[in-house]
Amino acid sequence: MATTTETDSTPVDESRTISQRLPDNLAMHVGIILSIVAMAAPLLLAIIMSTQTTSEVYEVTNLGLGSQGLSNYQTVLSEYQFTTYLINSFVMSIIIVVGKVGISLLAALALVYYELPYERAVFMFILLTLLLPVPVRIVPLFQLMADLGWTNTMLALTGPYIASATAVFLFRQHFMSIPSSLVETARMTGIGPAKFLFKVLIPMSKGMIAGVCVITYIYSWNQFLWPLVAVNDKSSQVVQVGISYLQGSAQAGLTPWGLIMAGACIALLPPLVVLIVLHRPLLQTFAVQRK
Amino acid sequence: MAEQTKPFDSKLQAAALLLPTIVVLVAFLYYPSLETFRLSLYESAFLGQDLRWTGISNFVELATSSTYRNSFVVSVLFAGVVVIGTLVLSLLISYMLFDVDIGSSSYLVAAIWPYALPPAVAAILLNFLLHPNLGIFTHYLELLTPWTLDWFSSGPQAFAVLAIVAIWKQLGYNIIFMVAALNNIPETLTESAQLDGVGRLKMLYKVYVPLISPTLIFLVVMNTIYSFFSTFPLVDLMTSGGPSGATNLLIFKLYRDAFEFSNYGLASAESVILFVLVAILMYIQLRATEGHAQYGA
Repeated sequence: MATTTETDSTPVDESRTISQRLPDNLAMHVGIILSIVAMAAPLLLAIIMSTQTTSEVYEVTNLGLGSQGLSNYQTVLSEYQFTTYLINSFVMSIIIVVGKVGISLLAALALVYYELPYERAVFMFILLTLLLPVPVRIVPLFQLMADLGWTNTMLALTGPYIASATAVFLFRQHFMSIPSSLVETARMTGIGPAKFLFKVLIPMSKGMIAGVCVITYIYSWNQFLWPLVAVNDKSSQVVQVGISYLQGSAQAGLTPWGLIMAGACIALLPPLVVLIVLHRPLLQTFAVQRK
Repeated sequence: MAEQTKPFDSKLQAAALLLPTIVVLVAFLYYPSLETFRLSLYESAFLGQDLRWTGISNFVELATSSTYRNSFVVSVLFAGVVVIGTLVLSLLISYMLFDVDIGSSSYLVAAIWPYALPPAVAAILLNFLLHPNLGIFTHYLELLTPWTLDWFSSGPQAFAVLAIVAIWKQLGYNIIFMVAALNNIPETLTESAQLDGVGRLKMLYKVYVPLISPTLIFLVVMNTIYSFFSTFPLVDLMTSGGPSGATNLLIFKLYRDAFEFSNYGLASAESVILFVLVAILMYIQLRATEGHAQYGA
């Protein structure tokens, strides 16, 4: 048995390994399905409950689709300002995605393709902001927004998120992996930086840009603490804080859990859809981050 | 990394390209962070309008406050439970996904979706499903086990519920990185062990875990940062720090000191302590990944 390539194994060997593997593999599949069901169970139950009336919800084990149908969703959207919250969340996330990707591409262009004095120092200056998550600067940031008159505005929701070490880092990594022959060709043709960015770099970075967009979109949409601090006017609030209003508004009497579940499902849907549709670029981008 | 000649050399253009990033980072990250350090040395009154220099007395106050010390201990324990729980569960799931291989793309999406789950939504869902009186999980848990779920008044139970939600939400992120790391292992490294007919679980912790240890260290750090910084919505929406401080995580205490009690100086001192924590964690990660660089993908 000097060589152990697959083609060497006799049919007898093969059938033995298959019969050995099959039950094992079956167990693995069952294990995966159980894990997936366990992870999804809260969500599936919430979707069912979101169609029930309050009294149906109070019959704890009632797992039938409720008589409310989609009307809980309608109520949440029209009577509890969820349409406003959703619009605010969308606008906030899109501004952050576009702004962050845009200015990070520019910064990475400068870092990788320009003769830059102190390049290392500039990069470190950007990277060190990884040490400064929102809770580390939340009080002065809140005061700064008040001083600028930005409290309750989209500027306060988006401004602090618009630059990021992670995005610059990822684009820089990606640019450095673009073959230098291509850059050389671009240089020979005397192409300007704007054309180089739009005609060469961006087309060659589609996957990476899509990945950073997905990460940023999900991150922005899911923000809770900063919107809670920066916005106290309900009409400017985002949907994540909106569902907490929904929970809070119903303290007296029977809690309309069906309604609250509908609100929660609405708040979850956009990032979930983005993840499902764009999981490929997301996974590729994360693969770069770990290198 | 071969130094290639760079196509552009205009320093002015380079500066202009970097300007937006630098301006935002200075205005909204560096400046407020430095302000945090400054404010932490002051006592504040009237919403920060009246500042009085007090040196390190905010830190002394925190160090001697039993509430803060409780929060610190609770947060460290919480991080421990969340980090270990997340790693073990996602390692098992990732390993199964890696092992079956076939059709793993749809399996993978079904396993990583909690990455997109907003923490506030996670909190609200389980608030209801684990509700002591109305929750369907509570109902069957009490039917099938001798336990009574009463996390609105039991501290340890509230802590456990919060940890379960935190772990659930963090599974997706961990599975993404673990599956990628497992798929990156060169087959030549695992072949001999497979021929020996070693059992699956043994393979996992004897062969695969050491091989993906750089990723695991990265995840330990990221999960620790997550459990200290991103769990605010869970506490705020599920327990408000109670019962009697059992879930009063540092991040929640910081929020209340700052925005409920308007104690800006003290809250800033709490921010400084959190900063030190992130710095230590990032340093650990940097050192750990340097040491393992030769095995890295």
